[in-house]
Parts: sequence; structure tokens; C-alpha cells
Amino acid sequence: MKQIVASLLAVLVLAVSAPGMVSAQGGPLRIEITEGVIEPLPYAVPDFVAESAGAQQLAQQIARVVADDLTGTGLFREVPREAHISQISSFGSPVQFADWKAINAQALITGAVSSEGGRIVVKFRVWDVFAGTELGQGMQFAGTPDGWRRMAHKVADQVYSRITGESGYFDSRVVFVSESGPKDQRAKRLAVMDYDGANVQYLTGGNALVLAPRFSEDGQRVLYTSYETGMPRVHVLEVGTVQSRILQGQDGVMSFAPRFAPNGSTVVYSLTQGSNTDIWAMDIASGGTRQLTSAPSIETAPSYSPDGSQIVFESDRSGTQQLYVMPATGGEARRISFGQGRYSTPVWSPRGDMIAFTKQNAGRFHIGVMRTDGSEERLLTASFLDEGPTWAPNGRVIMFARETQGAQGASSLYTVDISGRNLKRVRTPEGASDPSWGPLQ
Amino acid sequence: MHTGHYISGSAHGILILWALFGGMFRSDPPELQVADVSVISEAQFAAMMQPQTAPELGAEPAALPQPDIEEQPPEPPVVEEQPAPVPEPVAPEVAEPEPAPQPVLPTPEPEVVETLPQPPAPEPVPDVEAPEVALRPIPRPAPRVAPEAVPEPAPEAEVAPEVQETVEQSETPDVTDAEEQQATAPEAATTEIVTEAEEPARAPAASVRPQSRPNRPTPPPAPTQTADAPATSEPERQPAPQPTQEPETTTDTASAIAGALEEALAGASTGAASGPPLTQGETDGFRIAVQDCWVVDVGSQAANVTVTVGFDMDRSGRVVSSSLRLLGSEGGSGTAVETAFQAARRAILRCQGDGYSLPPEKFDQWKTVEMTFNPESMRIR
Repeated sequence: MKQIVASLLAVLVLAVSAPGMVSAQGGPLRIEITEGVIEPLPYAVPDFVAESAGAQQLAQQIARVVADDLTGTGLFREVPREAHISQISSFGSPVQFADWKAINAQALITGAVSSEGGRIVVKFRVWDVFAGTELGQGMQFAGTPDGWRRMAHKVADQVYSRITGESGYFDSRVVFVSESGPKDQRAKRLAVMDYDGANVQYLTGGNALVLAPRFSEDGQRVLYTSYETGMPRVHVLEVGTVQSRILQGQDGVMSFAPRFAPNGSTVVYSLTQGSNTDIWAMDIASGGTRQLTSAPSIETAPSYSPDGSQIVFESDRSGTQQLYVMPATGGEARRISFGQGRYSTPVWSPRGDMIAFTKQNAGRFHIGVMRTDGSEERLLTASFLDEGPTWAPNGRVIMFARETQGAQGASSLYTVDISGRNLKRVRTPEGASDPSWGPLQ
Repeated sequence: MHTGHYISGSAHGILILWALFGGMFRSDPPELQVADVSVISEAQFAAMMQPQTAPELGAEPAALPQPDIEEQPPEPPVVEEQPAPVPEPVAPEVAEPEPAPQPVLPTPEPEVVETLPQPPAPEPVPDVEAPEVALRPIPRPAPRVAPEAVPEPAPEAEVAPEVQETVEQSETPDVTDAEEQQATAPEAATTEIVTEAEEPARAPAASVRPQSRPNRPTPPPAPTQTADAPATSEPERQPAPQPTQEPETTTDTASAIAGALEEALAGASTGAASGPPLTQGETDGFRIAVQDCWVVDVGSQAANVTVTVGFDMDRSGRVVSSSLRLLGSEGGSGTAVETAFQAARRAILRCQGDGYSLPPEKFDQWKTVEMTFNPESMRIR
């Protein structure tokens, strides 16, 4: 009896719900999109408006630096000014979105520069053309005229951040080894520059060989290896005063490959005692050291994870150079690289999700990235000699050194997006190697 | 009786007569071959038998006669005046001291003022100011990655979804005048990111199988028991899917009834659409139109986020901008979700043009859309 009642009810419900089923089909139209395109986002940046008599040139220059920064990422494509329909004659005037939509500019950057009393003020806004709204709020920077490039970088960082949702990297600096002279008599000096190769300034003279400079997290200090005493020793240099000193507490013969911990108070480095090289950590203030590895093999090139809890390093304990990860306090290490060839110079991404490395295989060098567990390895470059990757502060771009073949071969710096796109050279006045990207200022 | 003897005798007789008179034993003399012979003397024979000696060669081959050429003195080469060689600068024995490193002066920190007054709202723009067709600039050589590879278009072709060859008005008008049209072609694209260290995949490892047809709903098992058949015939071969406990059936049925009632009532309350559903082709056309404008930044955190965006449309196929809303997301942090939503929103708005091509008679079916943007397959390109 119960079954009969249930069946009757089911029939009744089906009859009632039949129109509902139709509505479920024809209600919201549901579509899933799994394929898109990977291409630069078109944007327009007309010359900034000069709001005072002497600001015309600066207004143009700042707009150009902003455009160079954005286009240089490979994520944006500038719509040429010749194609602009509207002109921005006043910073406060309304934007004719239809004109910018017509030239397919998805983002529009307007700005103005004024100069008065030895100070300049740079204002800007970012517009979402197709939505017809402003992205974020307008912002302005004030400073002295000699800091105009930095202000332009800051504007570009803001634009980048508002469109991509991630922080930029334009207002940052890179410390590197500037090289001059032939290969057999090459002079090397520490130098610092803007991320795009501008404003190069030297930090050391050319009287001693210097290697592997590394910025601290705040960008105020640089660790590097110097042969000033005849043997490689780790030095720490204050960028503001260009004063350097040898780190204390080094009992070994050689110490090299230093790198700051994220807290800035600890340094991790390699120390060679006898024929064995291990990784050590040192407290900068007290000079106290602690051995983190104790294998009979060569352990070097340590790099902290952003949270400071782990260290990735290279070791030949398995017979060839491979990458390992261990706790920051030392202890058991797990191998994360298993591909063919030799892996070296691992660097943990500021995002914490990737590790960049140098790989040598089949007579060629590569810069590559992998997940922190060693999965999803991907080689981004290939050449006669690529080495020494360093991450942009937002973990999106890798800079490295590339040396050309032959007696006249020279080293220069390149950047590449972590997707493998947008490989390009960084212009430096001389040869350059061993880059270390500082933080966003 | 003697017929055989007569035949044999006649045949032998004929044979003998043919041998005697047929010329079988005639001996004609063969023709003589005549050769001409000349008589020579002994001196002539000795002269013929002497070995021939090679002719003597001169020491040097005779010069070939040269054509007469008027001798003209060659023009002296024009010697450019060379500057006196400048001695290479000799590097001083003592290298100049490099400039001592100067303290790195910190670039003045710009002061930041966060807020600027709100800009005035733009005045309404007359429709005539915007051209109907976007004049897209020539793209830079940055490779574009799209679902389908597109070869490099002709340099004179404008970027447009369709391929259109140039149509020009001929001087002699034909019967059917063609409208002048600019050549258009889709933007060049590849299907995958190719790093410097990689070679593009030449071919898929396995061919893509065609999609199988959707399975028909399984018909209920045909009744195997007829009135005539015995009820107990092979009961183990036809196990009836009967639940073991009757009370659960009642519970399931009740919950199903409740759910169906709720669904039916909800549909009735929202004024659900009616009419024929969109065909697969119509839905695919809509999807492809949006995906062509969905720009995925594969290196960003937003590439890990799947977002579902809801929006309403008017009868012309245009999106009601104010109705765009984030319905849900999966993976990634808040900032990444917002970035993924903005990218999806831009894709929906940018590719609508004058409205998506959807059948107006089925407006009820597409007036509200829920679109999910899943970049998972893009991350592995």
C-alpha cells in the first residue's frame, strides 16, 4: 500500500515539476570557458599634462618611462600615440572612453606633472576603458626633479598592481658585478643600478676580485665574496656609506656563496675546511656560527625560503650536483631535482612557490624553474653559458647572467618571465654578471 | 586387301622420282671469290715494314698569334690621401686609478598623497565619434597564444576575426558591383608557449578521439515475467533492484518529492524561461566569442583561480554592465580572485561588440548567463 502511495506521489510530483525542469534548462545559461588567449594587454599612455611652464619635458619623459616599464614586462602592449583619437589636454577633464575603446586600449593612464620651487609633483589615474571606470584612486608623488625616474617607476608600479593584482618591481635596484677587460684580465667591481640598467653606481674599486653580491631584504646591505685578502672571504657592505667589513668568526680557509636570511640578522654561507665544504649560518651581530650540513661532499649555494623556515642548496652527495631542501636549522635534506644534468645556484622565489636554478645538460646551460617539491620543472633559457638566477621582488621575473662564447666573449644580464616569454637583455655600460635583485623600494 | 601395299608403293615411287629428277643430287659449282692482288717490290715491302717514329716536338709550344690590341697604359690607381698613421695610444704603464666608489645617495623618496579628487563624469559622447570598426594597431611581435594556431597575416591586412581578401572597385563595372573592403585576417597566434630551451611540440602524442555520443538513459529492465510464465522461473538471473528495507524507500521518495516540489516552486516563482533551448552550435558560438577575448596571464596567481561570473543581457545581445557579478571562485587568494574576475569581466565586455550573436526568439534562454572561466588547461601551455 505504501508503495502505491509513493508511486502516485512521484507521478504527481513529476507532473508538477515538469515546468520547473524546463526552467532549470532555460534559466541561467551556464557556459564553461577553458580556453583563452595569452597576449599583452593593450593600453594607452598619452604624454602627461604639463601643468607648469618648466614641466613639459619631464611630463614627456615620465610618460615614456612608465610606458617602457609596462611594455617591458611583456604583459602589456602600448597603443602607439599616432593611433590616439582623443588627446588628454587637462588632467581633470573627463575621459572620452569611446575614443579609447575604438583603438582597443583596455587601460588608459593619464597623468600630469607640475614643477614649482625645486619640487615636482606627478599625478596619475588609471582607467578601465571598457568598463568606463577608474581603476583604484588617483595618486600623486612629490619630490625633487632628480628623482623623476623613480617617480615614474612608482607610477608604473601602481598601474601594474592595479591591472594585474600583483605588486610591481620597477622601483627596485639590482646589485651586480661590473666587468671590464678581456677574459684573462677582467676587472670586476660591485655596482648597483635601477632594475632597467639606469643609474649605475659603483660600490667597490677594481683592485680585488669580487663575486656573488647579495642584497639584504631591506636593500641597505650587500653580502659579497672578495679576494681582497688573497683568499675568498665574505664581506658585508653598507650601501649608503659604501663601507664594507669582513664577517667575523670564519675559521675555515675559504668562505663564499653568502646570502641573507629573511630576517636580515643571519647569514648563511659555505665554508671550506680541509677538503670538505659545508653550509654554515652566522648571526651577524654576535658572530656566532652554526654548522648546518656535515656531509663529506660539497654543499653550497644556500638560499632561504621567504618564511625563513627552509633552505635550498646544491650538493654533489649523490655523485652529481643536485638540489636539496633542508630545515633552516639544519638536519635531514631531501633531494628535489632528479632530471638529467647538473643543477646549481638554486634561489627560492619571493612568492615561495618556485625555485629557480641553473642547469647544465648536454653541453648547454639553462635557467629553469620548478616547484619547491621538484615538480613541474621547466627550462626557460638555453645558451652557451647562463647562470646565477635572481628573482624580481614580486617573483614574476628572473634576471640572470649570460656569457657569450670565445676569447672575446662577454657577460651581460638578461631577464625572462617565469612563463619563459619575454627574454630580453638589460643594458649595462659594461659587462655584467652575478645579479642580485633588491626589494621594491 | 592390298590397299596398303599400293599406297606404300606409290609413295616410294614418287619419292624416288623426286630424288632423281628434282635436283637433289645436282652438283652446281660454287661461285669463285676473286681478290685483287697487286705486286710490289722488295724495297717497297721493306719500306712498309719499318716502324713509324713519332715526330719531333719543339721544346716550347709555339705561341698563339695574339690579336692586335692597342696598347694603352693602365690608368694609375687613384690613391686616396691617407692621413699620417697615428700611433696607437700606448697604455700608460701605471693604470689610472679607478674612481673611488662614492656613497650611493638615496634617491629622494617621493611623498605619496593617496587621494585625488574624483574626476568629473564624462559627458555623453555622440555615437558618430567612434568608428564602427576598431582600428587595432599593428601588434608587436610578441607571440600570441590562442586555442588555434593562426599564421602571420598579410602585412596590409587588418586584424579581424574573419579572413577577408581585399575587394576593390574595378574600373569597368561588372554586373555585380562588389563593395570595397579592406583585407582582414586574424592575429597571428601559436598554441603554446615556446621557451628558448624548448622546441614546439610537432604533433600530439595521441590523436584526439571524437567525442562519444551521450549515453542514452538506461531503459528499465524489461519485464521478464509474463502472466503465463511461472513466477519462480530463474529468479537469480533477473534480480530486481529492490531495496532491502521498505522504510528507506519511503524516506528517499519523500525527500525526492520534497526536492522536486521545491525546485518546481522555485522555478515558478522566478518566472522561468520557456521555449526551445539553445542549440549546441549557438552555445559554442557564444563561448568562442568570449574566449577569444579572455586574456590569461599564465604566470600570475590569478591563473590558479576559477571564477564564475553572472550577468544579464538585453534582447540585442549586449551585456548589462551593472549586472556583472562574481558568483563564486575556486583556488587562490582574495587578490588573485579579484584579478581573475576582472579579466573575465573584461573578456565579456570587450568581445560583445554590438551584441553577441544569439537567437532573439530564444531570449528567455540566454537573458541570464553564468559563465565559468577555468584557466587550468592554460597553465600547462
